Amino acid sequence: MISEPDRAPSETRDPACDEPPVVLLVEDDGLLLMEASDTLAEAGFTVLEAPHADRALQVLESRPDIEILMTDVDMPLGSMNGFALARLVSRRWPRIPVLVVSGMGSPGPHDMPPGARFIPKPYAPSALVLTLHAAVRRAA
Amino acid sequence: MSRHDADSARSSGLDPTARHIAIREDEANRLRALIRAGAGRAGAPRAGWAETAGLLGAAAPSRAAADWQARLATSEELNARLQASEAFTARLLAASRDRIQVLSLDGTVLWVSEGGHAAHETGPDDRVLGGSWLATWASPGDRTAAEVALAAARAGRTGRFRAPSPTARGTPGWWDVVVTPIQGTDGAPERLLAVARDVTEAQRAEEQQSLLMQEMAHRVKNTLALVQAVATQTLRNAGSIEEAAEAFGGRLLALSQAHDILIQGSWTAADLRDVVDGAVRPHAGVPDRFRIAGPALSLGPRAALTLALMLHELGTNAAKYGALSSPHGHVAVSWGTVPAGDGPGPGFRFRWEEVGGPPVAPPTRSGFGSRLIERSLVHSFGGRVSLRFPPGGAVLDLEAPLAAVQETTA
Repeated sequence: MISEPDRAPSETRDPACDEPPVVLLVEDDGLLLMEASDTLAEAGFTVLEAPHADRALQVLESRPDIEILMTDVDMPLGSMNGFALARLVSRRWPRIPVLVVSGMGSPGPHDMPPGARFIPKPYAPSALVLTLHAAVRRAA
Repeated sequence: MSRHDADSARSSGLDPTARHIAIREDEANRLRALIRAGAGRAGAPRAGWAETAGLLGAAAPSRAAADWQARLATSEELNARLQASEAFTARLLAASRDRIQVLSLDGTVLWVSEGGHAAHETGPDDRVLGGSWLATWASPGDRTAAEVALAAARAGRTGRFRAPSPTARGTPGWWDVVVTPIQGTDGAPERLLAVARDVTEAQRAEEQQSLLMQEMAHRVKNTLALVQAVATQTLRNAGSIEEAAEAFGGRLLALSQAHDILIQGSWTAADLRDVVDGAVRPHAGVPDRFRIAGPALSLGPRAALTLALMLHELGTNAAKYGALSSPHGHVAVSWGTVPAGDGPGPGFRFRWEEVGGPPVAPPTRSGFGSRLIERSLVHSFGGRVSLRFPPGGAVLDLEAPLAAVQETTA
């Protein structure tokens, strides 16, 4: 599901523009996704949604305006988990910062791609918003 | 004087001096007999024995003879005791399932107990003696632990560590190892004793326990995240704090009931009928309120929790505005599976249909329940959902891949 499918894509973000940053939210639990999507929309993000990694890759291929990826780890409906998706996105779209969220403990030494951030679940919505905004600013 | 003569003298009422002499001669004769018997067993008598005999022949003190006799008896007894002790020690070591080894100070294996060979599955062709005990421990970390234990024992202390090591036949095993010094006569460590106890089962149990704890921590975190999402969504959609508190309490109870059902299924499956029964129970005070029909079907943890929340929302709505708000209304709940069509596998169908209630109209705004149904169900299970409000009562139809609703990962 893509919450804002009609928005005109842009290749790169112009920090001076007022367009909301576009975040791709990958989460297989519909209720958690609904809540995270509401939180980020209220914080000024344009939120695209995907229930698993395979759908997320399709969205990434079709939306070059995505500025940040936020992904869960355990997503059994897809062909890879969130760590593998994060590593793949870091290789194919190195300009897109990655945030991984999970209820599991700390990630292993080789789970995360370089530069990616990890937030354990449950998280404070304000911390999530701050982390995503900071990552988008650094990548701009 | 013969022994018989001496006895006769003792019993004949001789004076004390004569009796004393008779006793000494008697003891000397007995010792001579012993010496002769010993010489007969060993061939020619040794010089010591001959000298002793000579001395005795020259009227050696009978006290010396008694000492020799006592020493001989003690020696034989001690020898017997020693043999018994050695046999017992051998049986003791053979009975132990521990791998008991004697090492030189540099860690060379000098001796292995019989039980140790069995514990380590070593055969007659396996070279054990003369090898390095440190080589038993394959990983660098474990070898370091073994070296530290050896050093401690060499210093007169006890070294201890736990490490994995396969047996000679390759069977995986974990060992709890204690290395202690064997002290020499000067009190300094002369050799080392290494006792390795097989703790493979205990290690596996601990690893299993650790995995279970990690899995439980993961589930607790996910559950807390779910509760957080329910709480925040409730607050977003509530008109007042009181309304939010009541709604949140009901949703939390719905989740709690679903958890109870999941725990009965070891958190891998929940019976759909149980989930439905638990969700409608708060509204089932009037007979025939629910007409439930469907085959036995198990749900995965996520589907069970989501459906429990969905049924709670539908039931609450029906009790406020729908069929359950009327004494004559009822709800038909049904489900089933459908053969694989265009999809990769069979499908799952579920229906909630309210009948006999007051005329209903679609809600004017999208609340938590309808958003949960429209977004969460479809998103989580990749199916289709339809929530309609014809005048006769609300109708929900859900279709999803059966595999998605039976996915066992929480």
